[in-house]
Amino acid sequence: MSTPTTPHPFTHRRDGPGRVVLKNGQAITAAPPGVPQSPLEASSRRSRWGVRVVLLVALAWTLVPLLWMLLSSFKNRKDVTAATPQVLFPPTGQNYRNLFTGSNNLTPYIWHSVLAAGISASLAVCLGALAGYGLARTPMRGKRHLAFWIISTRMAPIAAVVVPLFLIFRGLGLIDSIPGLVLAYLTFNLPFAIWLMSAFFADVPPSLEESALVAGCTRWQAFRTVILPLTKSGLVTTFVLCLVFAWNDYAFAVVFSGPNSQTLPIAASQLVTQTGIDWGQLTAIGTIVVLPMMLAGLAVRRWLVTGLTLGAVTGE
Amino acid sequence: MAQVMYEEATRVYPGSERPAVDTLDLDIPDGEFLVLVGPSGCGKSTSLRMLAGLERVDHGRISIGQRDVTHLAPRDRDIAMVFQNYALYPHMSVADNMGFALRVMKVSKDERERRVREAARLLDLEEFLDRKPKALSGGQRQRVAMGRAIVREPQVYLLDEPLSNLDAKLRVQTRAQIAALQRRLGVTTVYVTHDQVEAMTMGDRVAVLKDGLLQQVATPLQLYQHPANVFVAGFIGSPSMNLAEYRVEGEDAVLAGVRIRLAHETLKALNDEGSDRVIVGFRPEAVAMVGEGDAGSMTFPVTVTVVEELGSDAFLYGQYADTTDPALRENTVIARVDPNAPPAKGDRVRLRITPGKERVFSTATGERLPA
Ligand SMILES: Nc1ncnc2c1ncn2[C@@H]1O[C@H](COP(=O)(O)OP(=O)(O)OP(=O)(O)O)[C@@H](O)[C@H]1O
Ligand SMILES: [Mg+2]
Repeated sequence: MSTPTTPHPFTHRRDGPGRVVLKNGQAITAAPPGVPQSPLEASSRRSRWGVRVVLLVALAWTLVPLLWMLLSSFKNRKDVTAATPQVLFPPTGQNYRNLFTGSNNLTPYIWHSVLAAGISASLAVCLGALAGYGLARTPMRGKRHLAFWIISTRMAPIAAVVVPLFLIFRGLGLIDSIPGLVLAYLTFNLPFAIWLMSAFFADVPPSLEESALVAGCTRWQAFRTVILPLTKSGLVTTFVLCLVFAWNDYAFAVVFSGPNSQTLPIAASQLVTQTGIDWGQLTAIGTIVVLPMMLAGLAVRRWLVTGLTLGAVTGE
Repeated sequence: MAQVMYEEATRVYPGSERPAVDTLDLDIPDGEFLVLVGPSGCGKSTSLRMLAGLERVDHGRISIGQRDVTHLAPRDRDIAMVFQNYALYPHMSVADNMGFALRVMKVSKDERERRVREAARLLDLEEFLDRKPKALSGGQRQRVAMGRAIVREPQVYLLDEPLSNLDAKLRVQTRAQIAALQRRLGVTTVYVTHDQVEAMTMGDRVAVLKDGLLQQVATPLQLYQHPANVFVAGFIGSPSMNLAEYRVEGEDAVLAGVRIRLAHETLKALNDEGSDRVIVGFRPEAVAMVGEGDAGSMTFPVTVTVVEELGSDAFLYGQYADTTDPALRENTVIARVDPNAPPAKGDRVRLRITPGKERVFSTATGERLPA
């Protein structure tokens, strides 16, 4: 995965109009300028422009609201509600300062979010990897149906499971506790983690672990030293997706959490009061919620990209 | 180093009726290079994987060095295996790949490095030790896979078609190297291939499998000269043996003017079987071109359809001439001819079977009849 790519000897650079010089010094003279290009080349160029335009629109669609949120969080009360939003304004950190002072200090909320999302995502990855490995490797009848049943438990709408879960959690004394939230997120993330990880394990040729078994490994050693390192991108992908789900969750948190376990999205919702919406503080919280996930995504994007394409691990 | 024994070893895959390996009895003495050969799907890999502990033994037992390993985990069998797809660990360097088993066995770092270096020197891999498998050619990967096996000193080496991903020339080279290496190390080796030339050139003995059943175990020469049945006769040897069904008339087997005197023992066996037909086979080199005037009892005319000139050898492929029997017209005769004076396509030549070189098989069982 991390082997540096040696420059290919025939990588070329353009060297003036119509001339391409290969790395080995050999020059190829293309058709002189003005000569019409082949229709194939022209059409591929046109489609490339098409793709760029689509990407640009998608990018704007995604980034403009985030940008608006970021800018608003640094505006004072007057600027943020101005009839004509300004891009240039005197920035203020007052919104953020307000969030960490006084009665509604955000620190415990952040802490609850980190704990609930972090622990549940870690558990989902660990358990998902073990179960997914079993699912991928154990020969059994009706395996496809079992796999589908597992992922289908994730397809139920959250609203449908919230009430029964609430009753169960109340019986177990898990309401308003971090373990309760962790468990709730796990019920939703685990099927997904199992299903995703088993797809990654199925991609690893069985002969790799057989080779490790013959070399003297126990099953567990083979799993740890050969299989897990090869599915690193799968583990990272699964972790990030589970983390994002738990971090952004509102529906579970609003039902199960209380003063001892409320998370960031709950804190944000509490800023919407009957006397009005404090847009400055709301966008500041929004930024605090969004930023860590974006940074996490950026940090692991190398694995994420190969992960989402269920990358090749065969090394061939 | 150890003797390997299969005793009635059987494997039936779940969901299939027929055993993939059926009551296999095989005794491989210490230090022998045994080749398992047979057509695709005959159960070679399954037999090997049963020995490795990667496949269950449903019936019978397997022992290595007098120790019953039938139900032992692969790691407790003290074997090294080379897989057809090499199964190199993509995330480890060549050196780590080769030293992996030693690391698992907790061999000290110095000792490990020494043995990896030694194996790398032997296999001409020294300059690649720091590379990942991805950055190697097919031949180099194959050598790493071999290296991973030879850094250890196991009781048995298991190789499953280790050469099948190499190009023809490299395959011939490597096959000689592996055979020489095995002889030097003297470790009992079971080698699986579907290529009978590989089997004949490498093995001390060759075991021929078909449909999960062992057909014959013998030295290459014995297999070639004394095939136990029609299947082995046709499978071993390239080009393959000429086989055709003959009628028995009196003491002779007869086909389109060819008369072959059958041995007394053969006739007795035929009599017991109550059959008046036999399958007669002869190798391409057991026929000679003779003059048109020579009309002995074991000669017959053929029309040449193809001539294969290989330089050191030439083979003619022809059809029986002067026959109205449609089955016979389909039957191609292969004969080795003088490479310096091969016949031309379309020629009519007369061939003579060298007496004593013919092999006679039962039409009912395919087994060779006593001679
Ligand atoms: N995991 C399995 N489940 C069910 N049947 C199997 C399994 N593996 C192999 N078989 C069957 O068992 C028989 C023997 O297979 P095996 O792989 O041993 O053949 P082989 O001689 O190695 O063939 P090849 O030369 O193609 O590798 C085949 O008919 C195959 O279809
Ligand atoms: Mg096989």
